[in-house]
Amino acid sequence: MAAVTDDPRPRELATLLVDRSLDVQPGWQVSVRATPLARPLVTEIARAIARRGAYFLPRTHWGSERFRVDLDWAAEAPLELLAELPPIEQHAIATEDARLTIRAPEDVHAGSGLAPERRALLQRAMEPAGRRARSLGVRWAVAEYPTEAAAAEAGMTLPEFEDFVYGACLLDWDAEERRMRRIKERFDDAREVRIVGAGTDLTLSIEGREGIVSSGLRNLPDGEVFYSPVEDSAEGVIAYTEFPAVYLGHDVEDARLVFREGRVVEASASAGEDFLRQVLQTDEGASRLGELGLGCNPRITRFTRNVLFDEKIDGTVHLAVGGSYTYAGGKNESAVHWDMVKDLRPGGELHADGELVQRDGRWLI
Amino acid sequence: MTEYARLLVERCIDPQPGWQVLVATTTEARPLAQELSRLLAERGAYALARIAFGGAFPVDLDWIEAAPPELAPTLAPLERHVLDEIDGSIFVLAPEPEPRRLDDAAVRAFRTHVTTYRDRGRSGTIPSVRCDFPCPAYAERAGLTLEEFADVFYEACLRDWDEERRLMEPVRERLDAAREVRIVGEETDLRLSLEGRTALVDDGHLNVPGGEVFTSPVEDSLEGRILLDVPSHSTDGLVERIRLRFERGEVVAASAETGEPALLRAIATDEGARRAGEFGVGCNHGLTRPLRNVLFDEKMAGTVHLALGAGFPQLGGRNESALHWDVIKDLRGGGELHLDGVVVQRDGEWLP
Repeated sequence: MAAVTDDPRPRELATLLVDRSLDVQPGWQVSVRATPLARPLVTEIARAIARRGAYFLPRTHWGSERFRVDLDWAAEAPLELLAELPPIEQHAIATEDARLTIRAPEDVHAGSGLAPERRALLQRAMEPAGRRARSLGVRWAVAEYPTEAAAAEAGMTLPEFEDFVYGACLLDWDAEERRMRRIKERFDDAREVRIVGAGTDLTLSIEGREGIVSSGLRNLPDGEVFYSPVEDSAEGVIAYTEFPAVYLGHDVEDARLVFREGRVVEASASAGEDFLRQVLQTDEGASRLGELGLGCNPRITRFTRNVLFDEKIDGTVHLAVGGSYTYAGGKNESAVHWDMVKDLRPGGELHADGELVQRDGRWLI
Repeated sequence: MTEYARLLVERCIDPQPGWQVLVATTTEARPLAQELSRLLAERGAYALARIAFGGAFPVDLDWIEAAPPELAPTLAPLERHVLDEIDGSIFVLAPEPEPRRLDDAAVRAFRTHVTTYRDRGRSGTIPSVRCDFPCPAYAERAGLTLEEFADVFYEACLRDWDEERRLMEPVRERLDAAREVRIVGEETDLRLSLEGRTALVDDGHLNVPGGEVFTSPVEDSLEGRILLDVPSHSTDGLVERIRLRFERGEVVAASAETGEPALLRAIATDEGARRAGEFGVGCNHGLTRPLRNVLFDEKMAGTVHLALGAGFPQLGGRNESALHWDVIKDLRGGGELHLDGVVVQRDGEWLP
């Protein structure tokens, strides 16, 4: 299986991840979760970590990158075991210096067959890992490695998808950062954001919250400016009619959420409504917003059913229900973090304190 | 395969609810690894999967090769924590078809990792089993199709191990009672002492397949020469027809018809690598011909083996080394085994 590849791009991506995203330091312990399909990338990552004098903790799995347990195990284990990660794993979560998650699905729906109660328990067990990541208590990054399954899901051939993935990842991130900084500065000055579009008119407050420019640090591909909105501020309605909302291998079509004082008070969908409601009921925080993000990656223009990419589409916004990023001032706690993407290119508008700052997905600032 | 997985979990480990069990293997053994996860879940135990690419143990060869020399042989504190905390471990070896060539430093680092991984299992602190998965690389090595190989494999592994234990018990008693062992055969006349040492039966608890009685010889007692005529894969390649000469327990001359450099590298690993840490007698009648796989070949009824390197402290062994490499002598073609001056086995058959 020694796949000989002359493609230099996995190495470039590995360098970007280890040097820029994680900035691995000597003696660090760096865990890397991936499926076996990501081997060419993982090999380069192992070498890059070694060259930096740090430890590589490979965590190769055959399941979903979202969970730290084996899916075959999770389908059969007693429920009380699912609710808590093994103590060894809990210790690793609390101790590891950096955590890298490679999305390289064999099956884009992996894990979706898990019974809802099992899924909810696993998510709860994962909550300490999520909390440490969202507070930046651990250096972390998520990256995509192109696979056949993900290419098919995106409606592309593998070579097309590889070009798409590496094109979106291997950007001049310093230049992207400068460009996004201007957008952040405009919103940092604002108290209120209004999103208008098909079936949508939603207002939320970002007062006192500072925007985070994502430029190749925690996601690859990256390219967004995001905020933790004020938890009780969302008012109005948003309809995700352009793209399905995809989470844990499930598709929800035409999700429509109505917010009052920051909480979802109505949730409907033309498909996947039960799943949507289950997730919103996972815990107290699952029905509040944990993120407002503005997609800024110029190389991502089409929807590929992969939230890591879709939330970065230039001319879209996304709102996540669930846990917020404490390093962005957020206070919402939840085991859920579900990014739903709204396309503003067909007639959408973004307002900052009453000023129109984006129309049809194009910046006016 | 399900039966095999059940043997590993239920007989070898016998996990209790809440146990954390390490399942270390490679991508080549995927179906078995998944089955092991399911069975551990059934028993209410945690499965900690460590899946390597190609290598035998959860040791990343890419990392080892690229790491600074002082870092490469060391284990991450988090991995050490895993090894200290687990309640049981299952090591399933399943290499890729393309063997990987490592430089000397990488081989030494790899051996140090492996020794550390197996330490608590070897000393009997936790239940631990080391076994294989019938993958294409093993079939090819044995010169069989994968299907043929799987048949031999499961024939050797899926035995009535309680019955096998009863059959091996007299062999253990003989070795326990013996002070001196003498191995005689083609280009072979070797004596070693077992005085004060305890023998152990592997009835499918330590290795699968089981089927050997073994102990650690007195470290400075080996005298004479031996031709080890069953091919043996070391960490870095195949070695055939090894000739060793021992004086006061130490290897003073070593050669091989194939893979001599690998042999010389192995015995240069450290001080203890020039001494024998194990003497074992193969007792598995499911195995009649070498498969070029030490784990199986050392169990062949009618063979004996020595391991260069680490001994078993719980059997009285004192030899320490990062190496533990079994090398095998076939006694079926004119060999003899003597215990305290009495021939007990001739041509691989036990004498009444």
